Amino acid sequence: MKTLELDQVVKQYGDKTAVNGVSFDVEEGEIYGLLGANGAGKTTTMRMVLSLIYPDGGSIKYNGKPYYKGLEKIFGYLPEERGLYPKVKVSEQLLYLAQLRGMARKDADKSLKYWLERFNVPENYNKKIEELSKGNQQKIGFIASILHNPKIVIMDEAFSGLDPVNVELMKETVKELRDNGTSILFSTHRMEHVEELCRNISILQKGNAVIQGNLRELKSKYPREKVVLRTVGAVEGLEQIAGVSEATRTEEGYFIRITDESAGQHILQAAMSQTEVKHFEIKEPTLNEIFIKVVGGESNA
Amino acid sequence: MRNLGTVIGFTLRTKMMTKAFIVTTIILALIMTIGVNVPYLISLFSKDEPMKIGLLQGNYPVIEQSLEKSMAEQKNKDLMLLSYPNTTEDQLKKDIEAGKIDGYLKLEKQVEGTTEQFPKVIYTGTDSLGMSKENVLTSTLTLLKTKWVAKGALSEEQFRQLNEPISFESVKLQANGESKDPEKEDANKGISMMVVMVLIVLFFMTNQMTGNMIASEVTQEKSSRIMEILITSVSPLAQMFGKIIGMFLLGLIQIVVFLVVVLANLMLPHNIEPLKEMNFDISMIDPAVIGLGLLLYVLGYFLYATLYAAVGSIVSRTEDLGQAIMPIALLSMVAFYIPIFSISAPNTMLVKVASYIPFFTPTTMLLRIGVGDYAWWELVVSIALLLVSVLLFGYLSAKIYRTGVLMYGKRPSWKEIRKAMKAYKI
Ligand SMILES: Nc1ncnc2c1ncn2[C@@H]1O[C@H](COP(=O)(O)OP(=O)(O)OP(=O)(O)O)[C@@H](O)[C@H]1O
Ligand SMILES: [Mg+2]
Repeated sequence: MKTLELDQVVKQYGDKTAVNGVSFDVEEGEIYGLLGANGAGKTTTMRMVLSLIYPDGGSIKYNGKPYYKGLEKIFGYLPEERGLYPKVKVSEQLLYLAQLRGMARKDADKSLKYWLERFNVPENYNKKIEELSKGNQQKIGFIASILHNPKIVIMDEAFSGLDPVNVELMKETVKELRDNGTSILFSTHRMEHVEELCRNISILQKGNAVIQGNLRELKSKYPREKVVLRTVGAVEGLEQIAGVSEATRTEEGYFIRITDESAGQHILQAAMSQTEVKHFEIKEPTLNEIFIKVVGGESNA
Repeated sequence: MRNLGTVIGFTLRTKMMTKAFIVTTIILALIMTIGVNVPYLISLFSKDEPMKIGLLQGNYPVIEQSLEKSMAEQKNKDLMLLSYPNTTEDQLKKDIEAGKIDGYLKLEKQVEGTTEQFPKVIYTGTDSLGMSKENVLTSTLTLLKTKWVAKGALSEEQFRQLNEPISFESVKLQANGESKDPEKEDANKGISMMVVMVLIVLFFMTNQMTGNMIASEVTQEKSSRIMEILITSVSPLAQMFGKIIGMFLLGLIQIVVFLVVVLANLMLPHNIEPLKEMNFDISMIDPAVIGLGLLLYVLGYFLYATLYAAVGSIVSRTEDLGQAIMPIALLSMVAFYIPIFSISAPNTMLVKVASYIPFFTPTTMLLRIGVGDYAWWELVVSIALLLVSVLLFGYLSAKIYRTGVLMYGKRPSWKEIRKAMKAYKI
C-alpha cells in the first residue's frame, strides 16, 4: 500500500500559487526526493503533507485514507529552520517532543542516549541548544525527528550545515530507516545526495512538477552528451567527426561533447585506429546537469 | 488529555528552573520578610518614654496631692507627673532646659467677684501638651473639681459613681428587623475591604505578569519554528491550555512559597506580641469573600490568559508584542481601577454594570461581595456570564492560536484570519 499519495495538490497565498497541482506517491520503505529552486514550493508541499496548512485543492492520502487522528504519532518532521527551544536543555526538550508523539519518557530517554552516542555527541545531553554549534544543533534536530520511531518522516534540507563525515553518518541513518520500512520525504539542494538515496524524485518549478519519476529512467531519457576517452597516445581529428561539438585535451586523454549519441562509436573507432584505448565511456547526465537544464538557472522566488 | 499533562509538566519544569523565576521569587520573599517585620523594627527604634511633667507645689496642697495620687493610679504610659515640693518656678525652668522634664504645671488662684474659684491650671513647656495628654489631665482635673465644689457633700460611693464613664451603645436597624452589633460589623467590613484590595491588586499584578510571559513564550515558539513541530504532534487546545495551566500552577507555587515565608515570620516570637495588639483575628475574615474571590480570580485568570496566548500567536516578532497586547493590558487596567476608585462607594451604577461585563467581573463583583450589596441571583448571573465567556474566548483563542502561528510576515487581515479559522480544526 502507498504510504503517501498526493493528488493534484494546490496551495495559494493570496493571488500567488505556491503549489500548483502536484501529484506523487511514496511507498513504504522509500526515500522520495523533492527538488526545486528556491521558492519552488518544496516547503509548502511538505507543510501540506504534515497537515500544518491545508491544501486549497486536491487531496493527500495516508495509507489510503485522508488525514486521520493518530498520524501525529507516526510523523517525524525536521523543519527547514530548526525548530528547537534555544534556552532549554537538549534532553528536556527532546524527551518532551517524543512524549507528545506518544512515546514513554523512559523509552525516549534510552533512545535519545543511543542516538547521541551514535552521532558522537553524548556530551550534549545536558547542554542547552544555544550553546551548540550550528552543525550540532542540526544533529539534535535530526534526532528529534526520528527519536520516536516514526513511520513517515519529512526532512526539509536535512543535511545543510553538516561536515562530510557527519553527512555520511546521517545518510547511513536515513538508509537504515528506509530499510526498516519508514517512508521518507526528503528535500535538498545537493543533487549527489539525491542520486545516492532516492528512488523517485520530483523537480518543482514555480509550484509545478516539471519532471517526475524514477531517477534511473529519468536519466536514461536524457541524451548522453559527454564522452570520456583515455588513450596512451594522441588522437587526431576528433573535432572533424560528425556529431562532435567540442573536444578538449585532459591530463590523460580527451573530454568530448557530442550532440548525437551515435557519434560515440565513430570516436571510439577513430581512437582505436590511431592508438591504444585505455578507457572509453559515454557518460549519463548527472542529476545536477538535468536540474540546471530544467530549472535553467532562472530563479522563481 | 495525556498530552495536556505532558505540556503542563514541561512548562512547569522549564520555567521553574530558570534563573529569572528563582531570583524574583527569592527577592519578593525577602521583601515580604522585611515587610512583616516592619512593626517590630519600628518598635525597636521608638522606645517611647513617657512625657515627664513637673508639678509646682504649694498653692493648693490638697488638689495637688489628689492630682498626683490619681495620676499615679492611672499609670498612664505617656504621661508621668513628678512632684516638686518647695521649689521655685525658676528651678523648674532650669530643669526644662537641662532636659530633666518636658514642662511643668502650676495652679493659680482664680477669684471671680468675692467667691474663690477652682484654680486655673497653667502648663509651661517647650512644646504644647497635645490633645490626648491634655484630655487626660483635664478629665482628671474635672473630677477633682467636682470633689472640690461638693466639699464633702458627696459620699465616697456617690463619688465613685460619678467617676464611672457613661456606657453608650449604638444599634443599627437591619432591613429584616434583626439588629447586629455595628461595631463588630465595622471591624469585619474593614477586614473585608483589606481582603478585597489585596485580591484585586494580586489579580492585576499576576494577570499582567503571567499574561506577558504567556504571550512572549508563544511568540518565541512561533519565531523559532518549534511551533511547527508542536502543532503536528499535539492539538492546539491542549497546547494552549497546558501552557496556561502550567503558568497558573507556577504562580500558585510562588504564592505558596510567599505564604509560608510570611506565616513563618509571623510565628517568630517577637512578632506575636504586636500582632495581638493590632486585634487581628483570622476568624474575622469572611470565608465567602475568600471563597468567591478565589473562584472569580481563577476564572478571570483563564479569560485573560487565553487572550494573551491568542495575541502572542498572531505576532511574529517579540518586538511587536508590546504594541499588540496593549488592548488587553488596557482592559485589565480598567478592571483594576473601577473597583479601586469605588472602594468607598461600592453600590454605584458603574460598579453594578461593570460587574456583568466578564472582563471586569473578577474585580468589580469581588468588590460588591466584599463591601457592597448584592443579591444572590446577581452573583449567579455574573459568574455564569464569566464562565461562558471563558469557554467562548478559550475556544476562539485556540482557533486564533492554531491559525496565527502559521502566519508570518505582515499582520494578517481580519478576513484572512476569519477564513483560516473556519478551516483549522483544534
Ligand atoms: N506564509 C506565506 N505567505 C505567503 N507566501 C508564502 C508563504 N509561504 C511561502 N510562500 C510563497 O510560496 C512559494 C513557495 O515557498 P516554499 O517555502 O515552499 O519554497 P521552497 O521550495 O521551500 O524554497 P527554498 O528552497 O528556498 O526553501 C514562495 O514563492 C513563497 O514566497
Ligand atoms: Mg523550503
